Amino acid sequence: MDNVLQYSKKEIPSKINTIGIVLLVLGLLAAVLAFFVDHTRSTYNLLLNFMFIISIGLGSLFLVALEYVGGAVWSTPFRRVSEFLSALLYLVPLIAIPLFFNLHDLFHWSHQEAVESDRLLQQKSPFLNTSFFIIRGLVVFAIWMIFYFFISRNSRNQDDNGKQVFTKRNIKLSAVFMPVFAFTISLAAIDWIMSLEAHWFSTIFGVYYFSGTVLAALASATIIIVLLKENNYLPHGLVSDHYYSLGALLFAFTNFWAYIAFSQYLLIWYANLPEETFWFAQRWEGSWQVISLGIILVHFVIPYAGLLSQPSKMNPRRLIIMSSWILFAHYYDLYWLIMPNFSKEGVIFGWIEIAFVIATIGAIILLFGYKMRKNNLVPIGDPKLKRAMDFRL
Amino acid sequence: MSKLYAITGLFDKPEDIIQAAKAAVKTGYTKYDVNTPYPVHGMDDAMKLPPSKLGYVALVIGLMGAAFALFAMWYINTIDYPQVIGGKPFFPLPALIPITFEVTVLSASVLTVLIMLFVFFKLPNNSHPLHDTEYMKRVSSDMYGIYIMADDPEFDEFKVRGFLEDIDAKEISAIYYDDEELNTRHRVFEPKFIIFLIAAGILNSALVYFVYNKLLYMPPFDFMEEQAKVIPQDEDTYFADNFSMRLPVRGTVARGDMPYLYSNNPEGAGADIVNPLLPTKANLAKGEQKYNTFCSPCHGYLGNGESRMRGQFPVPPSLNSQKVISWSDGRIYHVIMAGQNTMPSYSKQTTEDERWTIVQYIRALQRSQNAGETD
Amino acid sequence: MSVDHTQEVSVVEGQPSFRSIDDLISKPLETKPDRNFFIAISITGTMLLIGVICVALTVWFGIGTWGNNQPVGWGFGIVNFVFWVGIGHAGTLISAILFLFRQKWRTGIARFAEGMTIFAVMTAGLFPLLHVGRPWLPIYLIPHPNQHGVWTNFISPLVWDVFAVSTYFTVSLVFWYIGLIPDLATLRDRTVGKIKKMIYSVFSLGWRHSNRHWQHYEMMYLILAGFATPLVLSVHTIVSFDFAVSIMPGWHTTIFPPYFVAGAVFSGFAMVQNVLIFVRRIFNYEHIITLDTLEKMNKIILVTGSMVGYAYIMEFFIAWYSGNPVEQFVFVNRVFGPYSWAYWIMFSCNVIFPQLFWVKKIRRSIPIMFILGVLVNVGMWFERFVIVVTSLTRDYLPSSWDHYAPTLVDLGILLGSFGLFFTLLLLFIRTLPVISISEVKAVIHGAQPHHTGVYHE
Repeated sequence: MDNVLQYSKKEIPSKINTIGIVLLVLGLLAAVLAFFVDHTRSTYNLLLNFMFIISIGLGSLFLVALEYVGGAVWSTPFRRVSEFLSALLYLVPLIAIPLFFNLHDLFHWSHQEAVESDRLLQQKSPFLNTSFFIIRGLVVFAIWMIFYFFISRNSRNQDDNGKQVFTKRNIKLSAVFMPVFAFTISLAAIDWIMSLEAHWFSTIFGVYYFSGTVLAALASATIIIVLLKENNYLPHGLVSDHYYSLGALLFAFTNFWAYIAFSQYLLIWYANLPEETFWFAQRWEGSWQVISLGIILVHFVIPYAGLLSQPSKMNPRRLIIMSSWILFAHYYDLYWLIMPNFSKEGVIFGWIEIAFVIATIGAIILLFGYKMRKNNLVPIGDPKLKRAMDFRL
Repeated sequence: MSKLYAITGLFDKPEDIIQAAKAAVKTGYTKYDVNTPYPVHGMDDAMKLPPSKLGYVALVIGLMGAAFALFAMWYINTIDYPQVIGGKPFFPLPALIPITFEVTVLSASVLTVLIMLFVFFKLPNNSHPLHDTEYMKRVSSDMYGIYIMADDPEFDEFKVRGFLEDIDAKEISAIYYDDEELNTRHRVFEPKFIIFLIAAGILNSALVYFVYNKLLYMPPFDFMEEQAKVIPQDEDTYFADNFSMRLPVRGTVARGDMPYLYSNNPEGAGADIVNPLLPTKANLAKGEQKYNTFCSPCHGYLGNGESRMRGQFPVPPSLNSQKVISWSDGRIYHVIMAGQNTMPSYSKQTTEDERWTIVQYIRALQRSQNAGETD
Repeated sequence: MSVDHTQEVSVVEGQPSFRSIDDLISKPLETKPDRNFFIAISITGTMLLIGVICVALTVWFGIGTWGNNQPVGWGFGIVNFVFWVGIGHAGTLISAILFLFRQKWRTGIARFAEGMTIFAVMTAGLFPLLHVGRPWLPIYLIPHPNQHGVWTNFISPLVWDVFAVSTYFTVSLVFWYIGLIPDLATLRDRTVGKIKKMIYSVFSLGWRHSNRHWQHYEMMYLILAGFATPLVLSVHTIVSFDFAVSIMPGWHTTIFPPYFVAGAVFSGFAMVQNVLIFVRRIFNYEHIITLDTLEKMNKIILVTGSMVGYAYIMEFFIAWYSGNPVEQFVFVNRVFGPYSWAYWIMFSCNVIFPQLFWVKKIRRSIPIMFILGVLVNVGMWFERFVIVVTSLTRDYLPSSWDHYAPTLVDLGILLGSFGLFFTLLLLFIRTLPVISISEVKAVIHGAQPHHTGVYHE
């Protein structure tokens, strides 16, 4: 455990950085091209990747806050990984700008004529109108950035002096963050995804997006943690016991997602009210049928089987494979939520979709590399660190 | 001289018992065991125990439970007793998931526990040599113990005692078999158990007999086979005349029934009653149907009396005669209502409207049988 | 008082010897009960007796003795059922979920909470049995070939309830019993009375504390915890399905499953906290069931209470958002209609008062936390009342609207359910160890071999 205090900052290998730059540049170029080729489809893809980035950024901040509030020790050595990923929250308003200018392509309720001819949309117009939408979006982004700023700053400052007051402050901030998180993530999910189909509603929708968000944040953190540890970026002394909780949480939240998704489906299927079932019926048109059935396999059965056994939760290779799969599953989930509003007859997947995904991955890699250059990878001043390195199941 | 079971050693620190276990493995003992008041971390590795297979047992049983539940519900809802409930399909998979899940958990939990207790542990076993010894009392409470069994291939009493002293055991003692513990017969065949099984069998049979042959005939368990209500044509002691079927109260009028004021007054009927229906196609069609049903057996299809009865019943006078033609609709209606001579009243077989349609049809018949050039 | 984050908070205060733990936990089983116990059990016994009388009246005369009417076909019976099932959830959460999260502070309270689960589920199970017209025919709830040739309706959530609650009861009982086996063995080895020894021997199955057995035992415990966790979530989810699969406004809303589960944990923890406050004082378990433990429980109460508050707000918002006038009316009716007093009790007790637990001093103050716990349970009972009764009294067709009032029999049965629960608890306290002896020993400082922090082999 003395190795911890001898920790020195290492930078991400330049090869990875180059990959990040290449992906981002290629992706962005292709994405901009896509806007000229098919404006609406590109806007939808921008929205899809926007929600994906929010998942990872906001979800990572949630994980950081969860560790502070719950007092967990096993995650302290690699809490910085989630802190770095939370920096994505700074990107969120940037990506929102082109979205704000293209609300017309996405949202039916932003069209004046549509609202005038539709009684339901009129009823919702005090909430679903462009100006209020933009304002509350900006407010929510600002709230997220403020919490990230203060929590990460406290954590960073603690590296220099190890004072426990920073931990206490972050615990308080994290505790306040939790209810704020609950409401803002629900609001974001309702605004950006649920209102794509403005006639439909589901009270569990915020929780649904939350379950996918936590999975995305856990999965991205796990991939990075395992890669870092296996390549000796993290302190010597971390053992498979530290991995176990990551695997267990991935498994648990896979179950949680399935539970929420199934509840939503079962209740709407059972009551059979047309005002609710049409949303699922839309996802049964043409090739969407395959995607709808596939989500059970992709998002539940495979991760469940892959992470069921005790050894699998601790095995680095298995964790990387399953985490990558779960990230793919989350993209698949968002795709299934968002894209049927664009292409009603069936699935459309081509270079445009791939372009945006590449850009997203590139952006994440570059951001992470940047944070790694500027900050310690391990919170060396954290009072829980010694206990964390000694942690055994 | 009692048979030796094992030599035991006690320790008072968890680190010591871990070392003791490692030493036992190193020395080559295989028939030995460690007893601790709670599970000590690292002991499984120290004893080099293979990982527990209970997880696989639970998995297999769980999957079987799920398959069984789904199959049973599929069979019941599709083959045995299909019912359309709430418009749902016969095999509504989303609705069956909750039950499948519960059955999976139930079977996996309970059966795995039973397998663990009865197969893995071979419990219940209250006749083990370790019971009721000082050793057991200590390891149950606050010390950790290890013992080497006498039938270990490497066992030699002197060597074992030496081994235990080398690893600093606090107390070393020998455990002997009690006489009744030298039981080699399989527990299932023990007399006590057999008697218990027989008693359970008798009790169970008695209960089943009682329930199915006696209880099901006692109210309220007889499912309302005997009810206090009255069945038609039953005897009923409530009324003085013992009849269960009663006449309606005097003055009761059947629904849709109106009193007929001209019962003995054909002239009055002919004068006062007016046909409320128009001779439309529908009314005439109805009248034809009703006439053919009720009137044609005696009056014939054409109203002239040449009927299917062929004189077995007095032939009625023709309806197409001048006399009847001259009657008003009300007069004809009266005959249907009140009857005439041998003809009974048809007021019970027909509704008021139907009777008027019959009258209209008779008019049509009369015209058809006495057709002039202009018809 | 300030927390030092470099130190692990010890689960058991001081470092009591194993022998003293044995003595302390076995004491209620080995001594005669004192006067207070007899006073307590006479109170609960009287409550129970009133309940038994009212149940007898119900069985003899029928559901007409209850306040149910058209349209309120579900009244106190179902409200009480959901209430008690909810209380049972805390036990399994403490036993199973906190075990999976490796939270050591559960050891002092797990056994007791599991016992409370079992008694709460037993109490809850009475209500579905009673609220049917012929409660002596419950066998037909279990699908089996019978002389009528009929089967249960697997599509109905009421049948799912049958499976869920009976599975929950069985698995909780098994989990509890498995945990008891090593303690029964310890008691067997220290008791002197012959009859007691025989009873303990039989029920401990001859457990020898062998490590070859502990290995499988620990795996079994993990498997049971792994099963019990989704099970407990599924039970209250299925109870919520009773309402949510319908088309009733105010009932048919997708957030019911997690909302009910959060509410169940919320009320369950409040009840456990309340009872533990008494138990730890009476039996001098304060260094095992520490103030830290109580504080952690209060934090969970705060979290789950906030989840319930979130659900209230989300339901309200989506009711407006949906534009469905019937749905909107339901919520207006709840707040301003004839049962608005019940709504405000519910809202204040569930959302407003528990927010006091943000303050550390309040979290660590025994009298205040006790009162808040009671208020939480009152609020949660009223939540079920609001959901069931206000939605039923005024649903789609105004000509069908009616008023609901409970009868004395209803109230008597509610009182009796508390009597049953607490009587069983009191009996449990004097016959079985309410703290898990072996688990507590395992988490005392120095009980596990010392790790040096290098690779653990």
